[in-house]
Amino acid sequence: MPVSALALATVAAVALTLFARRALLVLRLVRMGAPLPRFDDLPKRVENETTIVLGQKKLLQRVVPGLMHAFIFWGFVVLFPTILIAAIYVIDREPGLPAASPLGWIEGQGWFALLVDLFCLLVLVGIAAAFWIRKVQRPNRFQGSHLGEADLILVLITGIVSTLLLWHASQIALGLNEWGADWSPLSNALSGLFGDGTATEALERALVWAHVLIILSFLVYLPYSKHLHITTAAPNVFFGRTRAKGRLEPLDFEAADDELRFGAGTVPELTWKGILDTMSCTECGRCQDVCPAWATGKALSPKLLIMNLRDHVFAEGPKILADESFEPTPLVPNAVTDEVVWDCVTCGACVQECPVSIEHVDHIVDLRRHLVMVESRFPAEAESMLRDVERSGNPWGKPQDERAAWAEGLGVRVLQPGSRPPEVLYWVGCAASFDERARLSAESTVKLLLAARVDVAILGPRESCTGDPARRMGNEYVFQSFAKQNVATLDEAGVTKIVASCPHCFNTLANEYPDFGGRYEVVHHTEFLADLVARRRLRPVATDKTITYHDSCYLARHNDVLAAPRELVAAVGQPVEMERSGTRTFCCGAGGAHMWMEERGSAINEERVREAAETGAGTLAVACPFCTIMLDDGVRQTGRDLRVADVSTLLVEALERSD
Amino acid sequence: MSVLVVVERQPGAVDELSLQAVTFARALADGAPVHALVVGAHADSVTPTLGEHGVTTVHVAEDEVFASYAPLAVARATAELAGRLRATAVVAAGSERGNEVLAHLGALLDLPLAANCVEATSGDPARVTRLRWGGSLLEEADLHGDVKLLTVAPHAVSATHAPVADTSVERFAPQLSDADRVIRVSARTQAATGGVSLAEAKVVVSSGRGAGSAEGFGIIEELAGLLGGAVGCSRAVTMAGWRPHTDQVGQTGTKIAPDLYIACGISGATQHMAGCKGAKAILAVNTDPDAPILASADYAVIGDLHEVVPAISAELRKARGA
Repeated sequence: MPVSALALATVAAVALTLFARRALLVLRLVRMGAPLPRFDDLPKRVENETTIVLGQKKLLQRVVPGLMHAFIFWGFVVLFPTILIAAIYVIDREPGLPAASPLGWIEGQGWFALLVDLFCLLVLVGIAAAFWIRKVQRPNRFQGSHLGEADLILVLITGIVSTLLLWHASQIALGLNEWGADWSPLSNALSGLFGDGTATEALERALVWAHVLIILSFLVYLPYSKHLHITTAAPNVFFGRTRAKGRLEPLDFEAADDELRFGAGTVPELTWKGILDTMSCTECGRCQDVCPAWATGKALSPKLLIMNLRDHVFAEGPKILADESFEPTPLVPNAVTDEVVWDCVTCGACVQECPVSIEHVDHIVDLRRHLVMVESRFPAEAESMLRDVERSGNPWGKPQDERAAWAEGLGVRVLQPGSRPPEVLYWVGCAASFDERARLSAESTVKLLLAARVDVAILGPRESCTGDPARRMGNEYVFQSFAKQNVATLDEAGVTKIVASCPHCFNTLANEYPDFGGRYEVVHHTEFLADLVARRRLRPVATDKTITYHDSCYLARHNDVLAAPRELVAAVGQPVEMERSGTRTFCCGAGGAHMWMEERGSAINEERVREAAETGAGTLAVACPFCTIMLDDGVRQTGRDLRVADVSTLLVEALERSD
Repeated sequence: MSVLVVVERQPGAVDELSLQAVTFARALADGAPVHALVVGAHADSVTPTLGEHGVTTVHVAEDEVFASYAPLAVARATAELAGRLRATAVVAAGSERGNEVLAHLGALLDLPLAANCVEATSGDPARVTRLRWGGSLLEEADLHGDVKLLTVAPHAVSATHAPVADTSVERFAPQLSDADRVIRVSARTQAATGGVSLAEAKVVVSSGRGAGSAEGFGIIEELAGLLGGAVGCSRAVTMAGWRPHTDQVGQTGTKIAPDLYIACGISGATQHMAGCKGAKAILAVNTDPDAPILASADYAVIGDLHEVVPAISAELRKARGA
C-alpha cells in the first residue's frame, strides 16, 4: 500500500469517526422525542422532497438569495462524483480508473467535465452573492444568527471549489486529463497559469490533497455548526407535514399513562419531528422576516425560538440520554420565555416561508398546551374567553339563545331537532352571530344565498364555538369536547354540506373535525358566492371604485382559498393588490386567540392598515369576521379614510345597483 | 398525629374561608386533634369560634412583626409549631394569603404544596382532588411528603360546627430571624382613582377614542369625581397610551358591575361590552345614533361628549350648590 493511501485512510478515518459520533448523537436525540405519525402518505413526501429540496421551491420564493443557494446546492449535487474521483487521485496521480466502472465512465465523459466547470463557476457566483448579501446588503433577517459560522462555511466552500478548479487546470497543464480540454473551458483557461515542469507536478499533488483535506474538515465542522442542515434538511422535508396546512395534530387523552402527553414541557416531550426541526434550522431568518409579531416589536422571532430550543436540546439531551435519573428543566422559561410563546398569532407565515419545512406553529401550540393544561399559566386577560367558551359556548359569554338574533326577519330557516336536512348548512360562527360589525357579513351572506334560491338553514342556538380559540390557546381538552359535541349536532341534523364565513371555523370544520369523525363538504362563503356569480345566479354590477383585498391567514395561507374572494372583488369593483397578499399575506393580529389578548409593542392591525392605505384604495375588503374587527379598529386607531367591509356585503351592494 | 390549620382573621372574627379550612382539616384528621395557629395581638379572641368548629388547641404566635401581614414570618412560626406538634398535615384557606403563606412554608420545609384542594384523603401519598381552570376542571393528584401541605379551595366545603369541650390556648414566641421579618406590609396607600376601584365602583364613567387625547379625560375624571365613581376606558385608549391598562373596561380588561355605567364616545365593540354587561344601567353619550352601544344602553344622549359631559357636571354642581 503506498504511503499516500495510508495517509488518506488515516485522515479519512479520523474525520469520518468524528462525523459519525456527532451524527449518532443527533440521531439519538431525535429518537428521544415524543411519537408523531409521519410515515404515511409516501407519494406526497416524495413530491415534497423533489420540489422543496431538489427544486429549491421554498428558497426560490426569494429570487436572489434563492438562486444563490440553488447554485451552491445544485453545484454540490453535480460535483459529488468529483469528490470520490479526487480521493482516488490522492492515492495515485494516474490511477487509470477502468472505463467500465461508474467513476471511470463518468470521468471520461466530456459533458460531465463541462458540467463540473459550469457548476464550479455557478457555486463561485453563488458564494459571491452570499458574501454580497451578508456583507453589503445585510438584511435584518440575520439579526441573532451566527454570522461568523456562516462566513467560515462560505470560505470552506470557496476553498473546495477553487482547489478543484485549479487541480483540474494543473492536470490539463500536465496532460493528465482523461477528457478533452475543450470540454472544460474554465479549467483550460486556468491551465495557462501552470507550466509543465516539476513545479506543476508538485502543485498538482498539493492541490488534490488540499481539496480532499478541506472537504474532510468541512465534514467534521458541519455537524457542530448551523450547517448541520446539509444532513438534516432533506429528511426534515421528507417528514414534513403532508396533511391540511391548517390542521393541528390532536392530543390523545385516551392514551395509556406512559404515552399520555399534554403538550411539550421538557425536551423529551417535544415531538421527534420537533427535535429534528431544531437541528435543521440554518438561521436564514426568512421566518423572522415575515413574522408579524417580530415586525411589530414583540419578543417572538420564530428563528430565535427554534435556535433556543435547539440549544436547549443540545444542552440537556445528552444528559438525558446518559442518565435516566436526570430531570430535564422546563422549556419555558429556560429555553424560551412566556412572552415569546404567547406572542404568536399562528398565522403560519414562518412555516410557509421556511425552506426546510420547520413547523414553528405546531411547536408553539405544543408549548402552550403544556403551560395551559399542566401549569394553568397564560395571559390573565384570556381567562375569561376560555371560561366563556366553556360555559356559554362562545368567547364573549353571550347567551346562546341570542345566537340567531341577527337573522330575525331575514327568513332563514333555523334547524330544529328532527327538521329536514338542508342542502347547505350556513355555519355562522360566534363573531358573526354576536359582534355588531361582524354580523353584517352574516346578514349579507344569508341575503345572497336566499336571493339565489339556495336551500340554506342555520343551527341557531344549537351552533356553538368550534373550539378553535381554545385550541390555539393550548386548551386542547376544551377544544376536543366542543369538537365532539358539534360533530354530534351536525350528524344528528343530517348535514352534508357546510358554508362557513369565518375562516377559523372553516379551517376547524374542514381540516380538524375529520379527526373526530366529522366529515362534511366545507366551503367558505366566498367560494360558494363566487360560484353563484360564475353561474349567473347572482349578477353584480361593478363600480369603478378601487378595492384592496386582505387575505385572511386561515383562508389563504392555511387553506389556499385565493381565487374566489378575488373573483368577487373583481365583480364589484376595481381590485388593487397589497404588497403582501395571497399565501404571503400579513396577519390582522387576531389569530391564535389574540382576539382575546392584549397586544404589546406596536399594533399589527395598524401596520396592515397602513399597507392597505398605501394602495390608494377606498375600500378594504375582507372575508373574515376577526379581520373585519381588527382592521376596522386599525382604521379608527390610525384615522385613515378607509372602509372595511366583508366581500359579501360589497356583493349585496353590487346587486342592489343592478336593481 | 395531628393536623394544624393556619387561620386568618378579619377584625374580631375568624375569616369564613379559614372556618371552611378548619372543617376540611377535621375530616382529614379523622378524629385526631386539630390545632389552629393564629398570629397577632388579641388573636385568642377567636378561640370560642374555633372551638365550636372543632379546634382542640389554639396556638397564638406572638411577635411585634405580626402587627401587620408578614407571610414569611407566619410561615416560619407555622414550621416551628408543626415540628413541635409532629403535625402530619398543615392546612390553610385557598385565599391569596393562605396560598402565599403555605408557599413560603413549602419552601422552608422543602415540601410540595397542593393548592385549591376540594378533597383529600389521609395516607402516604395522600390522594387530593384540586380545582383547576377557575373551577372547570378537577385534577386528582398524589401528594407526597412527611407533612402534607394543602390549601382548601374557597367554598369547596361549607363550615360546620363540631364543638370541642374546652379548647385550650397556648402562647409562644416563634424564633424569627431578621430575614423572616423583611416581607411585611409596611404602608398602605389608596389607589390613584380616589379610592374607588374600577371593579367595585357603583358608578363608572368611561370614554373611548372620542375623548381625543389623554388630556381629554379631564372632563371624564371631573364627572367621575362628582359622582364618587371610577374612570374607565376602552381598549383603543389603552392602545393609544392615554390611560393605563388597569383602567380598561372589557373582555381583556376589568369586568365591571356598577349601578350606573356612563359610556362617553364609546361605540360598544363586542369586546368592550363583554366587560360591562354586569352594569345595572348604561347611559351612552355618542355622536353616532347608530353606534352599537345604543342597543344595550338604557339611556342615551346623542351628542358630543365634550359638550354633554361638562354640562352634566355643571348641572350636578348647580343641584348640589342649591
